[in-house]
Amino acid sequence: MKEEKRMKKLIYSLIMVLTVVPFLAACGGEGASGDGEGKQEITVNAMSEPPSMDPALATDTTSGWVLDHLFEGLYRKNKNGEIEPALAEKTEVSEDNTTYTFTLKDAEWSNGDPITAGDFEYAWKRVLNPETGSSFAFYMYYISGAEAYNKGDGPVEDVGITAVDDKTLKVELNAPTGFIEKLLSFWTFYPVNQSVVEGDENWSAEADSIVSNGAYEMTSWKHDNELTIEKRASYWDEDSINMEKITWKMVNDATTYYQMYKSGELDMIHTLPIDVISSEKESDDFKITPYFGTYMYMFNVDKEPFTNEKVRKAFAMAIDRESITEDISQAGETPAYGFVPEGVDTPNGDFREQSGEYFEEDFDKAKQLIEEAKKEEGWSELPSVELMYNTSDNHKKIAEGVQEMLKQNLGVNVTLNNQEWKTYLDTTKQGNFQMARMGWIGVYVDPTPILEYYLGDSPNNRTNWVNEEYDSLIAESKMVQDEEKRMELLHKAEDVLMEDMPFMPVYHYSQNFLTSEAYKGIVYPVNRYPDLRYAEKK
Amino acid sequence: MYIFKRVLTMILTIWVITTLTFIIMHSIPGDPFASDADVLPEEVLENMRAKFNLDEPLPMQYILYLKNLVQFDLGPSIQSETRDVNTLIADGFPASAILGLQSLVIALVFGLLLGIIAALNHNGILDYAAMAFAIIGISIPSFILAPLLINYFAVKWGMFPVASWGTWQHTILPSVALATAPLAIVARFMRSSMLDVMNQNYIKTADAKGLAITGIVIKHGVRNALIPVISFIGPLAAFLLTGTFVIEKIFAIPGIGKYFVDSIFNRDFPVILGTTIFFSTILIVTLFLVDISYRIVDPRIKLTSRGE
Repeated sequence: MKEEKRMKKLIYSLIMVLTVVPFLAACGGEGASGDGEGKQEITVNAMSEPPSMDPALATDTTSGWVLDHLFEGLYRKNKNGEIEPALAEKTEVSEDNTTYTFTLKDAEWSNGDPITAGDFEYAWKRVLNPETGSSFAFYMYYISGAEAYNKGDGPVEDVGITAVDDKTLKVELNAPTGFIEKLLSFWTFYPVNQSVVEGDENWSAEADSIVSNGAYEMTSWKHDNELTIEKRASYWDEDSINMEKITWKMVNDATTYYQMYKSGELDMIHTLPIDVISSEKESDDFKITPYFGTYMYMFNVDKEPFTNEKVRKAFAMAIDRESITEDISQAGETPAYGFVPEGVDTPNGDFREQSGEYFEEDFDKAKQLIEEAKKEEGWSELPSVELMYNTSDNHKKIAEGVQEMLKQNLGVNVTLNNQEWKTYLDTTKQGNFQMARMGWIGVYVDPTPILEYYLGDSPNNRTNWVNEEYDSLIAESKMVQDEEKRMELLHKAEDVLMEDMPFMPVYHYSQNFLTSEAYKGIVYPVNRYPDLRYAEKK
Repeated sequence: MYIFKRVLTMILTIWVITTLTFIIMHSIPGDPFASDADVLPEEVLENMRAKFNLDEPLPMQYILYLKNLVQFDLGPSIQSETRDVNTLIADGFPASAILGLQSLVIALVFGLLLGIIAALNHNGILDYAAMAFAIIGISIPSFILAPLLINYFAVKWGMFPVASWGTWQHTILPSVALATAPLAIVARFMRSSMLDVMNQNYIKTADAKGLAITGIVIKHGVRNALIPVISFIGPLAAFLLTGTFVIEKIFAIPGIGKYFVDSIFNRDFPVILGTTIFFSTILIVTLFLVDISYRIVDPRIKLTSRGE
């Protein structure tokens, strides 16, 4: 009897320990802090650690997002998305439009050094130096001698970038280039501080060694966790910048960052979890913007049945893009009937609207095309088709939708196959596919970086489709100075591409956001993450 | 002598693991430099391959790697432009280790207590409750439990931040989410081990001698029941300390867990090798520590190699 009592006592005391400890722990917690009332600051989500804070090496939009706030080139995008001079105080162009002489503004680096033309010369030649291994060096091939130097065929002395004096930068181009100002606002063309970069090989690895020249300087960088930048008082255009402090968290899980937004730990998120989009659509915080890229299926024109152009067209006509974007991907994408997405301003309006839709979804016509193709090629049955995509839930859902549509609308059975990303890149590069998914986003908003994808010698062109007329139209467009003429050539090039259809467009990408109502003045560019410089917190 | 032999075996094991990983890793298709934006001229690509010794024949790459490894240099990361593998691990390991240690403590303290209570109350209400809890804990995967915890404790009740890392409040929810399954396993282990021990003759003898029940349970019961549990703690500690992909992803923790997975998708060869070697080293060392701690718990166990 007594023993049982003792045993009970022992159990009770054990239970006490079990419950009291967590209770005490919970009492100590006071929840998340909420200081900084009234200060102009914003916390957003970068999703992952930016791979590089070196303008010469960055190739991704996450790095670009931070870099665009830290650095500034000769030109920049303003509040309205237009290109305007930044560090270029004055630009003189030679008669033949191939030599540009820039006079620099008086401005300082974040460490107090003056920004010189020498910094630009150094930075750009560093990008081109084959030893730097910059993936974006080819964006500088418009400069004379640049391509040869980058490929190891020419000396650095022949590169047409010269700092005449501290304030004057002379740039020689191979040929007149119409969109040079757009290019110059791109991060690969940002200057770096020569003495800082030469002094420390790892200068871009930590917050305290990064020296920037834009509106902000980096004050803290906890790798894989968060990165903070603060407004510079010594920035030349300090008055026009509202936001004083920007923090990027690195939260990769969609449900998590959505909940962080809901609990106020993040002020803006993008790429919402698909299952909450329909319920958030009505909210005032929600915003959808077009994104400058195209989701597509490439055809291998060397593999049957896609050797026949009519089959390619029939496939393109046989899927219901509206149903794909509305019911499957659900993130506000726009159905695509051409290659260049909307968003390019031309003298005659938006490029996409100008050329309109290249084909219609017409199932009867598609069936008819297949019959014609069968006759032409002497096929009794259409050769079997395998559709490949890289492993991902979203691509899978879309591929299954397309499979079903092709069966219903065209009577064609396609099989599906998927591979993990890097393997997939290998397979498609070697041309071991008939029909394969791909996406392409333009680094700057112009038809050129989009259309270049299918150039005959483009390493990205996996379709085996080579068209001389297409290549020469694009080459020609790079030489003309007149914007209207240039766009006309690019329209013609797209006409040629869409006539042959080595790929079928599915949709143009979109971005979706939730932004706290407290913020006004955030700029949403079509090919970048939001520009927060002009944002204001109420 | 025993320790010397053990260390030698440990080094040999790590060498075998390194070699196997090296071979397997290079047999998966895919190029670390491949991307959907294939814009690099061949000349630049060659430069980059040379930077990572990828232009050398495989046996040469292997020798170069071992040479660096002996000097504790795990090489540069292909994916990160600025941080090498040593830095990646040095940056990420503290967060993973704090999280792992906290969960280990939670799992052990509560797991053992729960197991003891269940055993002492054999077939009683507390026993059933504890074991029901244990079964739930084992069967709910952490990627379900974690969002549940976030939804209630962070979003609805605002007691803790949702995710991210920085203050101790950030560590609580992920530690609990990570600890639940091992806690349940420890509880079940402890219960059966305890039941076993409490039926032994020496416990009955102690009881008959009229010793205090608390003393019997702690000194004779728990101590003996711990032995089988300890064998489980070694690998558990290694797994918890080196980070978990799922929990670190859900709670946005800057640990090393994600590098185990991401490095394979990116074909980031030095990171694949580096994380594997790091994990095996920790595992091997904890197993060694477990063997030593047996000796402390049970003096009958002697640390000798076979045949001695």
